[in-house]
Amino acid sequence: MIELKDIRKVFNSGKPNEFSAVQGISLSIEARKATVLKGPSGSGKTTLLSLIGCMARPTAGRIRLFDREITSLPERFLTDIRRKTFGFIFQHFNLIKGITALENAMLPAYPLGEKSSSIRKRALNLFELFNIAPKAYSRVEWLSGGEAQRVTIVRALVNNPSVIIADEPTAHLDTKLSLEFMGILAKLKEDGKTLLLASHDPVVYESAVVDRVVNLRDGRIDGAGQ
Amino acid sequence: MIFHPTVMALFVGSLLVTFMILYSASYALLILRKWDLQSGSELQLNLERKTYLISTLIAYAFGFELLSFFLYVFTADQMHTFFVGAMCAAGSLYANDYGYPTLIVKLVNFLLAGTWLILNYVDNRGYDYPLMKTKCFFFLLLVPLILLETFLQASYFLRISPNIITSCCGTLFSADTFALPTDTGFLSSIRAKAAFYVTLLLTVGTGFFFFLKGKGAYLFSAVSALAFAVSVVAIFSFISSYIYELPTHHCPFCVLQKEYGYIGYLIYVTLLGATILGLSVGLLMPFRKIGSLSEILPSFQRKLAVTSSALFLVFTAIVTVRILLSDLILEGY
Repeated sequence: MIELKDIRKVFNSGKPNEFSAVQGISLSIEARKATVLKGPSGSGKTTLLSLIGCMARPTAGRIRLFDREITSLPERFLTDIRRKTFGFIFQHFNLIKGITALENAMLPAYPLGEKSSSIRKRALNLFELFNIAPKAYSRVEWLSGGEAQRVTIVRALVNNPSVIIADEPTAHLDTKLSLEFMGILAKLKEDGKTLLLASHDPVVYESAVVDRVVNLRDGRIDGAGQ
Repeated sequence: MIFHPTVMALFVGSLLVTFMILYSASYALLILRKWDLQSGSELQLNLERKTYLISTLIAYAFGFELLSFFLYVFTADQMHTFFVGAMCAAGSLYANDYGYPTLIVKLVNFLLAGTWLILNYVDNRGYDYPLMKTKCFFFLLLVPLILLETFLQASYFLRISPNIITSCCGTLFSADTFALPTDTGFLSSIRAKAAFYVTLLLTVGTGFFFFLKGKGAYLFSAVSALAFAVSVVAIFSFISSYIYELPTHHCPFCVLQKEYGYIGYLIYVTLLGATILGLSVGLLMPFRKIGSLSEILPSFQRKLAVTSSALFLVFTAIVTVRILLSDLILEGY
């Protein structure tokens, strides 16, 4: 479903500080499965996620999503794919302070032009589903780490994407909360979502939820995935 | 050279446009030679990224081309007070050998640049750069014309001097110079008007027919081109005379002056706009088969056709109102 062909990503190309973050990765990611990109810091996990999630363009190589080539797409089409196909869960949550958890969760849906009331209804249903409905009207700076993580999950799901991308999702969670998070991912996988995670946390890549682990090192795939 | 603000604006503007065009041309050539959407090579991905910069540069340069046509005419009109004998832009442009050639090249570039902008707009609607090579090829054909325009315009402004004695529009566009139908009698005047109104009726008719039925795109474009030519002749022939209320005066520039409420700008903007949009309907027809455009192009062409027809109607309405309100009676004299 997601096909990467000879992907390379070079930062500061041609300059003294040139850095190759991804070096010729070819990879096929199955739909409705959980795939983890595992590797140490600087192995290219986050870069690869941002390339697959259409947040950056590769220096060379092509990515196909649902049999559609996406690396060549003009920006306005990429934006549309980003909004409708992918839900993002970030390492640092990236919630906007000063507004409520509900308002944060509704934000990705606004550009699609849907009525605010229907977005709100859908978001509140998700708050119910993830047991944080009482916190929906709380400002995000008042939330605990686990609660903030759930709000980011709701935000990632508010547009009902088919692919969830999570970058080091358990980096700021203790073991109990990390296991809870993996439980939520299991639910999402059951619902038919494709999960793509970058992590070097054993709680994540050793979880039963995960179907495949892709080891990365120095921007290359290191050995076969399990 | 006369250091008039609009002269400086045109001079500097054309130099900037030339720079932008030449920079873009180098990439347009590269795209024509190396573009391969199937390839994931670094060069191809780099070209894909560059297309945004190039398209934006060309769009701004051509946007300036559209404005500069009217600014040039306005400048020529403003400068007429500097030359002995000149009464409007006609005299200013006659002040040296480069004035009228510049105007003609600017007019051609105006029509072509407008058409390119529409092509670019359509290309940006497709997800796979459907017209990238076509618009680069079209752009490269335009490059020599833009360079010629820059050269002619610079030559015109650099060689112009307030001491020049030039001719007035009364001499340049007199009945002797233009043996037009209105100067030869009643029937001819009627015929000229009939040709004008029938052509425009046909154009608007085919435009609305395409809008409603989606058929006859090439016919509409051909008739739009004909309507442009017939309208230009009509402006020289009888429309100008009605506006000036003087049967022997056929100047196409005096209508741009304050005395006539600057109506010339409205006349030329609607006519040129309608022509560009009308031509584009047929021009886009072969691209309907392209997968990424097949859904959006028919409705876009319909919009172009109806807008073009509306502009032709506005143009016809403006000149008709001026003819009806004019105290001049051409027929029978």
